[in-house]
Amino acid sequence: MFKQKKSVKNGLKIIIVGCGKVGATIVQQLSREGHEITIIDKRAERVQEIADMYDIMGIVGNGASYSVQMDAGIQNTDLLIAVTDSDELNLLCCTIAKRVGDCSAIARVRTPDYSHEVGYLRDRLGLAMIINPEMQAASEAARILYLPTALEVNSFAHGQAELIKFKIPEGNTLDGITVSYLGKHITNAVLICAVERGGEVYIPAGDFQLQKDDVISFVAPRKMVREFLDAIGVKTNRVKNTMIIGGGKSAYYLARQLLNVGIDVKIIEINRARCEELSTLLPKAIIINGDGTDEELLKEAGIETAESFVALTGIDEENILLTLHAGHVSQAKVITKINRITFKDVINSLDLGSVIYPRFITSEAIIAYVRAKKNSTSSNIETLYHMFDSRVEAIEFRVDRQSKATGTPLMHLPLKKNLLVSFINRNGRIIIPNGTSTIEVGDTVMIVTTHEGLVDIRDILR
Amino acid sequence: MNNSIIRYVLGQVIRIEGLLLLLPCLTAVYYREPQGWYFLLTAVICMVVGSLLSIRKPKSTVFYLKEGCIATALSWIVLSLLGCLPFYLCGDIPSFTDALFETISGFTTTGASILSNVEALSRCSLFWRSFTHWIGGMGVLVFLMAIIPLSGGSNINLMRAESPGPSVGKLVPKMRSTARILYLIYFGMTIAEIILLLVGNMPLFDSVTTAFGTAGTGGFGIKNDSFMSYSPYLQWVVTIFMALFGINFNAYYFLLFRQFKKAFDLEEVRYYLLIIVGAVAIIFFDILHMTAGVFDALTQSAFQVASIITTTGFSTANFDLWPQTSRTILVLLMFIGACAGSTGGGIKVSRIVMLVKTVFLELHSYIHPKSIRKVKMDGKPVTHEIIRSLNAYFVTFILVFIASVFALSFEGYDLVTNFTAVAATINNIGPGLSLVGPVENFGFFNLFSKYVLMFDMLAGRLELFPLLILFHPTVWKELLTCRRKPKKR
Repeated sequence: MFKQKKSVKNGLKIIIVGCGKVGATIVQQLSREGHEITIIDKRAERVQEIADMYDIMGIVGNGASYSVQMDAGIQNTDLLIAVTDSDELNLLCCTIAKRVGDCSAIARVRTPDYSHEVGYLRDRLGLAMIINPEMQAASEAARILYLPTALEVNSFAHGQAELIKFKIPEGNTLDGITVSYLGKHITNAVLICAVERGGEVYIPAGDFQLQKDDVISFVAPRKMVREFLDAIGVKTNRVKNTMIIGGGKSAYYLARQLLNVGIDVKIIEINRARCEELSTLLPKAIIINGDGTDEELLKEAGIETAESFVALTGIDEENILLTLHAGHVSQAKVITKINRITFKDVINSLDLGSVIYPRFITSEAIIAYVRAKKNSTSSNIETLYHMFDSRVEAIEFRVDRQSKATGTPLMHLPLKKNLLVSFINRNGRIIIPNGTSTIEVGDTVMIVTTHEGLVDIRDILR
Repeated sequence: MNNSIIRYVLGQVIRIEGLLLLLPCLTAVYYREPQGWYFLLTAVICMVVGSLLSIRKPKSTVFYLKEGCIATALSWIVLSLLGCLPFYLCGDIPSFTDALFETISGFTTTGASILSNVEALSRCSLFWRSFTHWIGGMGVLVFLMAIIPLSGGSNINLMRAESPGPSVGKLVPKMRSTARILYLIYFGMTIAEIILLLVGNMPLFDSVTTAFGTAGTGGFGIKNDSFMSYSPYLQWVVTIFMALFGINFNAYYFLLFRQFKKAFDLEEVRYYLLIIVGAVAIIFFDILHMTAGVFDALTQSAFQVASIITTTGFSTANFDLWPQTSRTILVLLMFIGACAGSTGGGIKVSRIVMLVKTVFLELHSYIHPKSIRKVKMDGKPVTHEIIRSLNAYFVTFILVFIASVFALSFEGYDLVTNFTAVAATINNIGPGLSLVGPVENFGFFNLFSKYVLMFDMLAGRLELFPLLILFHPTVWKELLTCRRKPKKR
C-alpha cells in the first residue's frame, strides 16, 4: 500500500486548485462520489472552511508552484483541476502538473481572448479539457431562446438529440393521456424520461398519466422536436429579440451566438468602459450604458415589448429581482443566471422561468470526465447532466466493447428500477428504443436514472 | 444540536469497547482465572447497550465542532464508567471510585495508580489495565473512524476533539484512510516493541503489557517496582520506544512514504529530541555520584527523562530521592510533554515552542514597535487563530491547574505532593514526587480529591476544551431538551 498508483477502486486522486464557487461545487460533487481530493488555495480561511465541510485535505499556497504541488502529492495524482480566477494561472498550474506529475489536467479558461484558441491550447498543452462555464452558460441560454417554450434544453450525441424540459400548459393535448398512448397515437419519435410533479420526480412507465402543470423532460432527435411540439399545439417560434442585463463574459458569448442567427440583442451594462469594449466586439448589438436595475431605464429600453429577457449580472439577487420584474411587466421569455447562492428550494418555488447555473454546468462536465476516467474498460461517458436538482442523472455512454448489456433486446435485459434507456445513437441516427431494440458495440446510449454514480453501461443492469 | 449523531457515536464506541473487552477474557481463559467471567459479563453489557444505542442510524450524519467535542467527551466518560466495571465486580479493586480512578488513569494514559500491591491483581485485570493505555493512546474515536464509515466530511471535528496538539491535519485526503494509517503505524510499532522485548527474555505477558504501556505512553506496570528489576537491555528498549511514541506520527507517515526530507524538517521533533538530550545530560551529571557507574547513570537518566517527557511514567529508580536539580528538571519536563500528534500528553512541545516564539516576538515589538513579524513553524507562518487558541489553552491550563491544586489542599498534604499530583495527572504522566512519588500511589487521597484528579486526567487527555464544554449551560440545555423536528418540505 505504500506505492500507490492503482487507485481506481477507491476513486481517483484529484487535486483542485482554487476554491471559489465552482471549485467548491466540484469538491462537493466529487467527494460525494468517493474520490480522494486535495484542494489548494491561497486563502487559508477558505481552505479551512471547505476542509471542515468535506472529507478532503487542504493545502494553503500557490497552486502553480512546484513545491506546493509536491506537497499535495502531485506525483500520485490522477487529475488536476485548475479553477482559480485567473485563466493564465490555471493554464500554468496544468502545465506544471503535467510536467511534474504526468497526470491529466483540466483548466478553466473563460476570457474571450482565448475563446477561439481553446482547441489549439488544449492540444498544445496536452490538457484533458478546457472548460469555459460562461460560454457553456451562454450556449444553454441560446438553446432555450431558440425554443422559448422549453425550460431547459440540453444536447446529446453531438447535437443530434435534445433533452427538453417543459411544463404542460392547461388544456394541452398531453393533459390526461398516458405515456403509452402518446407513443402509440401521437408520435413514437419522442420519449418522456422524467416527470416532476409536486416536488417529486418520477421516471414514468407506460401507464403513467400526464397532467397539466407537470414538468416533463423528453428526449427526441433534434429535427423531431419542433414537429412534436407543433403536433401537441405548442408554439415553437424562436425569439426575435432579446434584452440582456449585465455585460459580462457570458453576455458577450450569448450575444455573439444570437447575433449570428439573426436575433436582435440589446445589452444594458452599467460600466461605460465595458460598454465601449462591447460595442467594438459586437457591432451589431445595441449597447445601452445604464443601471439595469433602474425601472425607468428598463421601460425606456423597451422591456414591455421584449420577447425575451436574460439577467446575467454578477449579482444573483439582482438577477432574480430583474426576472421577477420582467415576468411582471412583460410577456417575455425570462432566463436567470445564478452563480453563487444555494437556496435551491426557494429559487425553485419562485416563478423564474429558466434558470442557468454556470457552476453546475462546469461540475457536470468534470464529473462526466472523471467517471469516464475512472472506468475506461468497456464504455465511456460522453455527456452527463443533472436534472431536477441532481435527483435525476442523464448520462450518455459510448459502448466500446461487448458486454452483458449488448446484443440482447431491452425487454429481456434485467434493467434497474427507475432507469430508462432513452435513445440509442447508431452511426449518427437517433433511435428511440422500444422493447425489441438492442444496444450494440459502437452505439452511444443515453440513460436517464435516479441512481447515482453510474460509470459503465453494465451498471444499468441489476 | 444533532443529538442523534452523538447517541450513534456513543453506541458505536460502547460496542467497540465490548469487543475489546473480549481480549482480557481470552487472557482469563489462558490463565484459567474465574475473574474472566466478569469481563465477559461487561463485554456482553457493552455490546447490548451499544447495539441498542446505535441500531437506528441518524438521519443527518453531519456534525460540527460542538457535536464533535461533546461526543468525544461523553465517549471517554462512558468508556471509563463501563471499563471500570470488571475491576469492581470481580473484586480486584473493591471500591468503585478506585476502580474508576484506575480506569480513567488507564484510558487517559496517565498511569497513576491507587493500588499498593499491583502484583496481587489477576492476570486478566492486569492485561485490561495495560490494554486501556493502548486504546486510549491513539484514541477510540480515531479507531472508530478507521473501521466505521461515518459519511459526511465533517468528521474531522471528531478527530480534532480527540487528537492531541494545537492543530490537526490529515495525512491523506480521506479521514478513514488517515485513521487507518495512524493505527497501522501504531500497531506496527507496538508489535516491534513486543518482539524486541521478547528477544531480551522478557516473558510474553510482561512484554505485551509493557508494550501497551509504552505505546499509549501510559505507565501502568505489572510489578510493584515498575521497571527497576528488568535488565538494562529491556530498559533501553523501553526508553527508545517511549521516545519514539512521543514523536509526532506525521514523521512516521513521511518516513513510510519515503518523504525523508519532510520528516526531518519537522521543527517540533527536532526541539523534542534536543530537549531530551539536554535533560539527559544534566541529570546524568547530577546523579553520577549516587549510581553504580557511568552506564548505570546514563541508563537511569535516559529512561527517566524519556518516561517523563513522553508522559509515560515508568520508573527504574526512585527519582524522588535524586538531587533537587534533577527533580526540578523532571517536573518541568512533565509540563512540556511530548509532540503534538503523538500518543503522549502534557502541554506539547509545539505549543511550548510557539509560546516561546511569541515571547520573542513580543520583545522584538518593544524594540521595533512598528515592525511586522509572524510566528513561524516548520517555515510556515502560524495563523493568528492558532496563536489565539494557543494562548487561551495556556491560560485555561493554568487556571484548571491552580484550581485543582487548591482543591487538593483541603486534605492537608504538603505542597509538593499536591502540586506534583495535579501535574502528574493533568499531564497524563502518573507518578509525581513526595507522597505520590514513583514508589508510592494515589490510594491515600479522599474521595473528593480523587474525583478532582480524575477530572484533571480527562481534561488533560482531551486537551481541556472538549471536556470543559460539557459544563457550559447551553450544552446541557441542548442535550436535555428534545430536538425540534425540522419543518417538512
